[in-house]
Amino acid sequence: MTTRRQFIQKSLLGTAGTLLVPGFLKAFEKSAMATKGNKKLVIIQLSGGNDGLNTIVPYRNDLYYRARPTLAISKESVLKASDDLGFHPALANLNALYDKGYVSVLNNVGYPNPDRSHFRSMDIWQTASASNDYLDTGWVGRFLDSSCQSCATHKAIEIDDTLSLAMKGETIKGMAMKNPDKLYKGLRGNLFHEISSANSAQDINDPALHYLYKTMAETISSAELIHEKSNVARSRGVYPEGEFSARLKTVSELIKADLDTSVYYVSLSGFDTHVNQINQHQRLLATYADGVNAFVNDLGDTIMKEVLILTFSEFGRRVSQNASGGTDHGTANNVFLISGDLKKKGFLNETPDLSSLDEGDLIHRVDFRSVYATILDKWLEVPSQKILKSSFNTLSFI
Amino acid sequence: MNPDEKTRHFLLRAGFGLSPADTHSTPSIDKLMAKGEASKPIRIVEKADLEAMKPKGEERKVLFQKAKKQVLELNGRWVSQLADPSIRVREKMTLFWHDHFACRIRAPYLAQQQNNILRENSLGSFRELLTQVSKDPGMLQFLNNQQNKKNSPNENFAREVLELFTMGRGNYTEQDIKNAARAFTGWAFNPMTAKFVFREKVHDEGPKVFKGKKGNLAGEDILKIVLDDKQTARFITEQLCNYFVFTGKLDDDFIQELSSSFYASGYNIHSLMKKIFSSDWFYDARFRGNRIKSPIELVAGMLSQTGGTFENPQASLFIQRALSQILFYPPNVGGWPTGTSWIDSSSLTFRMSLSNLLFKNGETNVEAKDDGDINNVTNTSGSRKLSLNADWSKLASDFMKSNFVETLDGIQFYLLATSPTAANRKIVEKLVDTSGNDPEFIKKAFVAFMSLPEYQLS
Repeated sequence: MTTRRQFIQKSLLGTAGTLLVPGFLKAFEKSAMATKGNKKLVIIQLSGGNDGLNTIVPYRNDLYYRARPTLAISKESVLKASDDLGFHPALANLNALYDKGYVSVLNNVGYPNPDRSHFRSMDIWQTASASNDYLDTGWVGRFLDSSCQSCATHKAIEIDDTLSLAMKGETIKGMAMKNPDKLYKGLRGNLFHEISSANSAQDINDPALHYLYKTMAETISSAELIHEKSNVARSRGVYPEGEFSARLKTVSELIKADLDTSVYYVSLSGFDTHVNQINQHQRLLATYADGVNAFVNDLGDTIMKEVLILTFSEFGRRVSQNASGGTDHGTANNVFLISGDLKKKGFLNETPDLSSLDEGDLIHRVDFRSVYATILDKWLEVPSQKILKSSFNTLSFI
Repeated sequence: MNPDEKTRHFLLRAGFGLSPADTHSTPSIDKLMAKGEASKPIRIVEKADLEAMKPKGEERKVLFQKAKKQVLELNGRWVSQLADPSIRVREKMTLFWHDHFACRIRAPYLAQQQNNILRENSLGSFRELLTQVSKDPGMLQFLNNQQNKKNSPNENFAREVLELFTMGRGNYTEQDIKNAARAFTGWAFNPMTAKFVFREKVHDEGPKVFKGKKGNLAGEDILKIVLDDKQTARFITEQLCNYFVFTGKLDDDFIQELSSSFYASGYNIHSLMKKIFSSDWFYDARFRGNRIKSPIELVAGMLSQTGGTFENPQASLFIQRALSQILFYPPNVGGWPTGTSWIDSSSLTFRMSLSNLLFKNGETNVEAKDDGDINNVTNTSGSRKLSLNADWSKLASDFMKSNFVETLDGIQFYLLATSPTAANRKIVEKLVDTSGNDPEFIKKAFVAFMSLPEYQLS
């Protein structure tokens, strides 16, 4: 027997055949592209503080081997990429992309007065604030605010269940989802959907309540559109097992679905290697490199000309290893830029200077906000100064 | 007699909404604010555990597990105190001060100690509260004042005391910060006793100038100068009004009048709050039912409105992680964001499904983020089986009226800060079928009203 509730749900869904969406929101689906061109930015966050020195190894530097008697990557096993630097052996797949001219590495990236606490430093990277400033919005969120008032929430998508601060603007926020199916099925026939359909945000005057109804309607509108479009773009690419690769695969499907999404955000956690670092770090680097390589191959050369992958971590680790076979929180670190359309490839700047340290930590040479400024100005083609609240030099990798 | 709209508004802001007992005897605002409620300090963690994060190897693992358990207990205890109607005003004030003096402390004992300082002084004198917090080991550690020494000053503590705790930006110079930092050199704590100590050897005794005052100023002098400045009364009044009255810009006349009397009272927080809650403008329609609840306010509200308790405290911690507000873990010294910052597509979906998950023993497939910090004891997979126990028979006896419409009217008034749209009321009526027994019916009604967007507001 059909219960009353089921009956209502059925009839609601039945009449429209699809999720009911207020008409004015349909307009969002065809919203004008806020950014010129069709460039995509994929941000990969390595959470926990990746050990940059054991990732891009200064294999000719005695200071490195002295500081890390049991942790250093041996000269023999390093995948040599330049006269001074090489990849950790677990990064064979990243090395392959490097050989193909798809990878730029920027060394010594950080910010003045570095903070060694995870949450604070990640806050700084995500909000693009100075280290003595506190912002409630993220840099991608402010990109949405400043460039894209008519955009749908899926202009920036994080592949996760919850949304990072980086993706939250003052008036516009990106959306978080694990995959289009989970999002769509989670809302279909749901009370959330029923309430949204029965009300119109336009009729709600109170600003806070209006915001809630608007968010609901946009969520449903975007979920429906993404589901519809991604259905025709199932990836046949071969990916390694695991959550990280699965998330990249979802990004690939969304990119191929030709959504007007400009920014994708994916995290990989576990880099806080204080204790017995070797195996864990190796596993994480392989997960990263194998996933990214599969993703790049899946998209192919043509699409990769439109895609830039930025990889960062909240900080690097100390130059010297600790007494537990691990490394403690450090400061400056390397950043990877991967694309089929790099203007400058390979190692972009000087190798880390291990002879001049600040209390055992690397001194930053490039402000991370210069990387953001470059991406905003040259890739997403929006003026970076307003978004970053200050003017930063742009770099030449794109 | 049922409480009126005024009382409801007062309790939504000064507490976490009405509680079942309020439906029997309407609490008067004057009576609730007549004297502060009792302070119920939390004493779960014993001092011996202070050094839990230091040892290495196996011992470290054991202590880490212990700290993890204690953080969970501490968190769970505070959540249940927040939801206790007999101490709601004081606990809400404690939550406000926890946001104002935002501090992340790894050692559970220190976190508990600071929390009790906030609680004890939450309705007392701001002068006393500021002094105690400034000398609190957890705060001194968090803001690096242990490293603030004569020969290598660290300005972090001095900067935040001025910028976030007392005067607000723009009311002092960089030079003032440098001199204040010198005055605070030597303010430290003994990790074994968890008590404040003044380390004379590292204190800078030289002459300093701070906001025009010259002398061999010490930390206490800085706090005195700051408190003597009317700007501090104004800043704290603004912060309190933004939290309890309205997030946007308030009339300058209100603020001026309130902060003058706050200053004249010698920073008596209780008098200030009483003045706010007794004013006519606090009950003005433009300030009612339009504040987006923080995740903690949302959860504490669900608990106190039903008298419910979490079956497993892990579930409460999981919700806090998933909605980005973990007690004792503010994002930074600036505290949590407010208003629409809490709301995005995924958080709103989860917030609106919460009552259904909690009261129908649901299991969510939502995963909360791991911040990557292996020493963050809240980074546990946690329980995604969410369950709140509530006595629905008791609630049925409180809320069942002679007919369907009246019962729903009563629950609607009781739970929501603002009337739902007509369409939403219809949806609730459809969801609440009368096929089951009374407790079943009441439960469905509570879950339905709590699923509405209107329930997100206080």
